[in-house]
Amino acid sequence: MVSAPQRALQGEDMPLSRRLPLWVFRIAALLAGIAMFFPPANPGRISEKINASASLFTNGVSYGTITNSMGRILRSQWIQDADITLLMIACVVVMLGVILCGVGGCMSLGNRKMRRRGFTFPLIGAPVMAAGLVLIRLSYNKMIAHGEEVDKLDKINMMIPSGFWVFCAFAGLLFLTALIAFLTTEKETDPAVKMEMDEKYRLFLMMLPVILLTLIFAYLPIWGWRFAFFDYTPGGSIGPDNYVGFKWFSFLFSDPATTKDLIRVLRNTLVMSGLGIATSWLPIAFAVLLAEVRSTKFQRFVQTFTTIPNFISWVLVYAIAICIFSTDGFINSFLTNVMHVSGANTNYLQVADHTWLKMLLWGTWKGVGWSAIVYIAGIAGIDQQLYEAAKVDGANRFRCIWHITIPGLTPTYMVMLLMSIAGILSNGMEQYLVFSNAMNKDVIEVLDLYVYNIGIGQNRISLSTVVGISKSLIGITLLFAANGISKTIRGESII
Amino acid sequence: MSKKEQNAPQHIKRTTGDWIFDIAVIIFFCIFTFICIFPFYYLLINTISDNDLVTSGRVNFFPMLKNAEGNPIFGVQVNNYVALQNVQDLGSSVLVTVARTLLGTALMVITSAWAGYLVTKQKMWKRSFWYRFLVVTMYFNAGLVPWYMNMLMMGLTDNFLAYIIPGMVAPYNIILVKTYIESIPSSLEESAVIDGASTLKVWLKIILPLSVPILATIAIFGAVGNWNSFQDSLLLMNNRPDLYTLQHRLYIYLNSSSNLGAMMSQGGTISEQAAQSMLNQRVIQYTVSMVSIIPILLVYPFMQRFFVKGIMLGAVKG
Repeated sequence: MVSAPQRALQGEDMPLSRRLPLWVFRIAALLAGIAMFFPPANPGRISEKINASASLFTNGVSYGTITNSMGRILRSQWIQDADITLLMIACVVVMLGVILCGVGGCMSLGNRKMRRRGFTFPLIGAPVMAAGLVLIRLSYNKMIAHGEEVDKLDKINMMIPSGFWVFCAFAGLLFLTALIAFLTTEKETDPAVKMEMDEKYRLFLMMLPVILLTLIFAYLPIWGWRFAFFDYTPGGSIGPDNYVGFKWFSFLFSDPATTKDLIRVLRNTLVMSGLGIATSWLPIAFAVLLAEVRSTKFQRFVQTFTTIPNFISWVLVYAIAICIFSTDGFINSFLTNVMHVSGANTNYLQVADHTWLKMLLWGTWKGVGWSAIVYIAGIAGIDQQLYEAAKVDGANRFRCIWHITIPGLTPTYMVMLLMSIAGILSNGMEQYLVFSNAMNKDVIEVLDLYVYNIGIGQNRISLSTVVGISKSLIGITLLFAANGISKTIRGESII
Repeated sequence: MSKKEQNAPQHIKRTTGDWIFDIAVIIFFCIFTFICIFPFYYLLINTISDNDLVTSGRVNFFPMLKNAEGNPIFGVQVNNYVALQNVQDLGSSVLVTVARTLLGTALMVITSAWAGYLVTKQKMWKRSFWYRFLVVTMYFNAGLVPWYMNMLMMGLTDNFLAYIIPGMVAPYNIILVKTYIESIPSSLEESAVIDGASTLKVWLKIILPLSVPILATIAIFGAVGNWNSFQDSLLLMNNRPDLYTLQHRLYIYLNSSSNLGAMMSQGGTISEQAAQSMLNQRVIQYTVSMVSIIPILLVYPFMQRFFVKGIMLGAVKG
């Protein structure tokens, strides 16, 4: 599609000496962009009292986050609000510079005219970054001056963070490389040439926002795995002094209480997942039986109403559970007022017996009608001639079901089964959270809920991260194993 | 199904066993369907009956009011729903939930439509890599606490944006849209490109109008997901009770041991009688539950049209 001269314009035939600054510039701009969201590279953390998990971005936009461990300092005015505001403005200016450099980086994928125009952005952006860094330094100086004034310098722990120098280096590097690239890109002399970009890069840049969002919200959390290797307390910092290596990993097995908890939680998880897998044929039975009903209207009626529970949240399921099974719920009032049974006031939700079975039944109530839809559609897709041929051969309906319908649904079922085996450790936490109470908490706590309880409930970030990491790694291994099995058996992958 | 019905007369004569089986199946489905809808009905009649009767367990199958002598008779009242305006904190939760449902769903649909279209573009630089980059996130996540720490780092705790921005990229929906767009004849797009339309223009004028069915599907499922959201509110909004979602608020009501009636603000425009009748924790719980179920039941008929389509498209691998 792209002709040779055009390719030359787009710079793919450029000599290495020219390509090098270009690539250094692009990579530096990308890294600076990522560093904006990277707390250890935060140039604005000019006091140890500023939240260590605040990135440059957070530092610029969220007053609450950066000051959340400064209570006394702010109340006593050891650091003035005006200086923090200045710091936040400075951070925004730095980000603005990074964004300008990013625009230049994007435009550097275009043709010569676009590249040359693009490099003017970092030539402005890098000095803007520098100006922002100067403002940060200014805010630092003002805080020091004020700290000396009120004689609390030892309380506010001012420092120049390493991120400050990192961003200084970025600003310098970006300016230098952009300048070289700008000077070595000849001005486009032909006025007929417009700013253009090869389609592949144009499409990529259009996709870039989506990629960045995914990176930030789905991949960046992996960076949080570092807490597993430190003694981290919320609001505190992590550094060489609280690095503990694999302490928390071995803690899982060396601390008797934790080991016991873990065994209990794993048992609950595996039993409940196991029950789910053991009953995973129910939707098939549902679909097969429904297909045996002759009236289409009845089929549609059943399908409509059995699917509703799938669309309400677990909190609402719990509300329904209360209205049916609590002390003043339907069962008890029915027994008392209609059947005239005296003393019917059991709160079935508080009874810990058969919790696993109850959870399974709630899951079935909520999900079976919905899960059956796949199989109902599958049955509709089976060739009717198969049934007719079988009938001619004298097969009754049970033989038809057994030899035609069930085999027709097996491939779909295998995919569902493998997926549920791969997800055996993840049964989600909402269902178990809403149904848990003091009576049943020992038997209802599954792995996901356990991670929530110790991580968010008890603030044991490091420990719960370790459990989470193990779970993620086992989960991905199981998924690949299930995929491998699927590939060998069915010759088709499931992911 | 209809094919099968046409064939019905050709069936071999049905035996007694067949009849028994058929009847058993129908009875089974009647019971199961009853179990699925009765709780909703029971919840509803408890919110529109006389509250004293509800408390004493006299409302079992029909909504009941008290007559002049205080005996239960058939009847309905909507005072409980009117009185909800006096329940503290409920209004902000409804507003927040409605806002996130509208905004979050709109942004998710736009992003999915955009990304789903772009990943069909073979010419994109490293297309298959970026596509996998998106899809992998369906199967892998870093875990709850690292995710929480990440949100904290982004300043998305105690922040309404936390409801909207992370949900924008929904890989599963992107796959659905991509699969759907791939089924659109490419000649339509090609002719537009030849006429000089830009990528954006092709997307706006050709792809979007043609993919309305799939976009409606993901919009409705996304809206239900947003309406039902509970976990993000529970995890992220610790210091901002005014940003709790409706489900979170309901969860708190369901678990509150104190009398919710006491939480109601004094005064207001409703009659004293209605306010009195609200001094009943159970009834508040039921009524709030009903309020959060009703929107789902309202969009349900629309959703149903898209069930099979959505699910079957999902079964087709991206």
